[in-house]
Amino acid sequence: MNLLKITASLFTFLLFFASCSEDDQLDLPKGNYEKGYFISNEGPFNNGSGTITHVGEDGVVSQNIYKTVNNEDLGNIVQFMALEGENVYIVVNNSHKIIVANRFTMKKITTISGNGINNPRYFVAENDRGYVSNWGDPLNPNDDFITIINLRTNEIIDTVSVGEGPEDMLIINNNLYVNLQGGWNQNNKVEIIELQFNTVSKTLIVGDVPNSIVADNKGDVWVLCGGKPNWTGFESNGKLAKISTSNHIVEFLDFDLHEHPEYLSIYLDNLYYNLNGKVYEMAAQSSSLPNSPIEGINGFFYSLKANNGILYATDAKDFQSEGALNLYNLSSGALLETIETGILPGAVIFQ
Amino acid sequence: MGRQSSRRKPGNLPIFLILNIFGGKMFFDMRKLVLILFLSVSIAGFSQYDSLNKLDEIVLYGNFSPEFNTGYTVEIITDTIINNEINSLGNFLQKNANLYFKQNGNGMVSSISLRGTSASHTGVFWNGIPVNSSLNGQTDFNTLPINSFDGIEIRKGGGSVLFGSGSIGGAINLSDKVLFQQKAKAMILLGGGSFKTFKSNIQGIVSNEKYFVKISLNAISSENDYPFKDTNLINENGQFKNYGIHSTLGWNFDDKNHIVLHTSFMNTDRNTSRTLTAASNSKLINKNNRFLFTWKNIGTQYISDLRLAYLSEEYNYYFDKDLLNSSQNRSQNLFSKYSFNYFFNKNISLNTGVDYTYSIGQGSNISNISQNDIEVYALLHHRVFSNLVYNVSARKGFSSNFEIPFIYAADLNFKIINNFKVKANYSTNYRTPTFNDLYWEPGGNPDLKSEKNSSAEIGVDFQNKNAKFDLTTFWIKSDNLIQWVPVTADFWQPKNVQKTSGYGLEFSIKYKKIIDDHNFQFQAQYAYTVSNDDSIDKQLIYVPYNKANSNVSYNYKRTYFNYNLQYTGKVFTTSSNSQSIEDYWLSNVEISQNFLKNDLKIGFRINNLFDENYQSVAYRPMPGRNFELNINYKID
Repeated sequence: MNLLKITASLFTFLLFFASCSEDDQLDLPKGNYEKGYFISNEGPFNNGSGTITHVGEDGVVSQNIYKTVNNEDLGNIVQFMALEGENVYIVVNNSHKIIVANRFTMKKITTISGNGINNPRYFVAENDRGYVSNWGDPLNPNDDFITIINLRTNEIIDTVSVGEGPEDMLIINNNLYVNLQGGWNQNNKVEIIELQFNTVSKTLIVGDVPNSIVADNKGDVWVLCGGKPNWTGFESNGKLAKISTSNHIVEFLDFDLHEHPEYLSIYLDNLYYNLNGKVYEMAAQSSSLPNSPIEGINGFFYSLKANNGILYATDAKDFQSEGALNLYNLSSGALLETIETGILPGAVIFQ
Repeated sequence: MGRQSSRRKPGNLPIFLILNIFGGKMFFDMRKLVLILFLSVSIAGFSQYDSLNKLDEIVLYGNFSPEFNTGYTVEIITDTIINNEINSLGNFLQKNANLYFKQNGNGMVSSISLRGTSASHTGVFWNGIPVNSSLNGQTDFNTLPINSFDGIEIRKGGGSVLFGSGSIGGAINLSDKVLFQQKAKAMILLGGGSFKTFKSNIQGIVSNEKYFVKISLNAISSENDYPFKDTNLINENGQFKNYGIHSTLGWNFDDKNHIVLHTSFMNTDRNTSRTLTAASNSKLINKNNRFLFTWKNIGTQYISDLRLAYLSEEYNYYFDKDLLNSSQNRSQNLFSKYSFNYFFNKNISLNTGVDYTYSIGQGSNISNISQNDIEVYALLHHRVFSNLVYNVSARKGFSSNFEIPFIYAADLNFKIINNFKVKANYSTNYRTPTFNDLYWEPGGNPDLKSEKNSSAEIGVDFQNKNAKFDLTTFWIKSDNLIQWVPVTADFWQPKNVQKTSGYGLEFSIKYKKIIDDHNFQFQAQYAYTVSNDDSIDKQLIYVPYNKANSNVSYNYKRTYFNYNLQYTGKVFTTSSNSQSIEDYWLSNVEISQNFLKNDLKIGFRINNLFDENYQSVAYRPMPGRNFELNINYKID
């Protein structure tokens, strides 16, 4: 063995050792999209694919990341996405499927589809179970259901029939609260499914067209009801409903007849919603609706999310082109940044 | 009306017609004219209409007559070409006239964009009466089988004065021809092709000097299950079966009066095919019933023309074809048109007309509604010198449901030297709101105004015995365009918000050479189109900047060969022009052979010869290479 060989092996050994120690000290990134947040973009109405936009902690914006990673389209109308465990669950409405991918790398894992998924809308998860609201045939008011998915195997294990037009959902105290917005019609209920038995235990009447649902720190559930719009010929006012999770008593705060609020979001026990092109803030303890909006925030947004002292408001613009995400300072209302998104940005989801 | 129909050359014309063409002094006898006209009506191939007498033109083509459109380009496609075709009107025009269509997949809804305008900005007519849908203002070019008609007239450029609402990019007329001559003939066309496609057309004509009867039946069905290239998908749920019955009954009452009754029933039953990203289980059924009564009275110095029509259209859309609930909407129109042409002398004539329409609509999204429209127009035709002709015209309409603007137009044709002409025109035009725009529930906006447009063009054309050459540039500006815009995310309403402006260039060349039995023809067309959405300063979606088409055909005795090459430039699919569909080249070839004294023709076609993977609408792939075998049998 000559000196050169000895030196080489020693060098290799040192290198190996050095890299090992480096591994011990640093958290290797789990993927390009580990930090920051996502925007799910529905995509064009008729023909085409929705996309996912990622915004990194450093503000770097990456468009169409699912296709970049997997070299395939997500499908038609990416209605929603949700993060659970290591995975992201992407709800593709008009392709009637849920795509499961790694939440850090966006690498596709599998697709959930079949008879148990028909016009899927929203996804929530808890205890290795995922729940998907489905309209079925939008013209048929009697075929709407919730799909229950085993998140370990990504298999559909059951479906539960619900009333017409299940939309946004929430899990609290092992109960699934389902807004029955009405699909192509207008409904006015929240159904509660006991997850222990997967049966509907209660149906609560709220206002017309319950469009969003959140829970506050005290454990009360808030449901924003838009009311029936004027074009239906049966216009009704919007309502903010508070459901007590202990006794399921519903209390209401009424909007004026022609007021149809949308996109309820909660941050630090303050509620936020969009009404007539303005954004309102209301403390969860408040007993009345706010009179005046947050100064400086104007727009008919396509979704709202309050987080980190910032209001993330998406703008679908003309619905035929790329939309935008506007970031507003929640206290001052100042516009901090505008980020280009995909077509019809429908939801903002934080890592 | 065989393939080798009489080809009129100036030399064969009766002397008084020749005199008239060349500005001779002799005044014509209209009654004789009619006889001549109906004996030799078919004009073979392209570029022949200039040699037709100007007045038979008017009787034949009405407002589409080149006589009233001297400053425009009117392309006339005759039965000699159409009779060989077994195809949808959209595919036929794409192949022969360089028009751009947006097809929602093979056999699905196909809409036109002429000179960068929207689908409702091309007026479509059937024997001179408007047949664009009262509901959406458009024509679906895949619902019209080409061989149900005997002729097509394409007139590009603004034409609302002569043609009414919607003729902004241009106007297309589909016509039945009536010949009072001793004849009995039948024709059977059968075709079969890839993807289990079957086509058939049966026509019979019996006529003499007094009567004319034509009946035509056509049917087409297809599984249409072609594979999407480079995927595991096929064109699921793309099946269609369409049929139609058309008849033309003519009565040559005396040489001055003839009466024609046209009827047409069409039924189009299509599943709406999947896209690359979404399956479909939907279905669309369209039914169109049309009746038209015409009475032409031809005097020594006038033509009086009365048309009474009843048109009904209905569609049923099944979101899920396995369920019975559908949304259904329909409209019915009573349309009457009277036009009177008076010839002061051989150089000056006046064309006046009044159109009255009563329409009703009802259905799942439209409550019972009705509309009354009356419109009047006049056109003065003046030949100043033998080489200079102009028309000036104006129209005003009144509607029960909205205001119709006053519009006017002028055009000019100047023959610089014998074969070389300059054409120019300027027009103002409009499109009235449709039933859907006004009354769709939810969203319809009864306060909509008419869309307004002004257009101009200037062009040159050169023609000799073997060649024809055309170059036209146009400008087009539209305002108050109706656009469905979001009021809230799920509530949209049409508003007069869009402004567009555009310009472009059209070029066409045709050449033919006959040496003994060898007949060679070449034609090529190119269009460059800019159509700008003025509020964002971007090209409109689905308007290609570049579109070209060419046909090379060769005929030797009983053998015929054609090569068709089409180019469609890239189109944008988002209003910001951030996304687009790639451009594509399409090649189609056809070979046919005649047998049995030319009574039997067998043809073979290869469509999309080079198996191009292309899309007309995003995410809707079109078929790859496919084959067709056609048999055409005539009994005279």
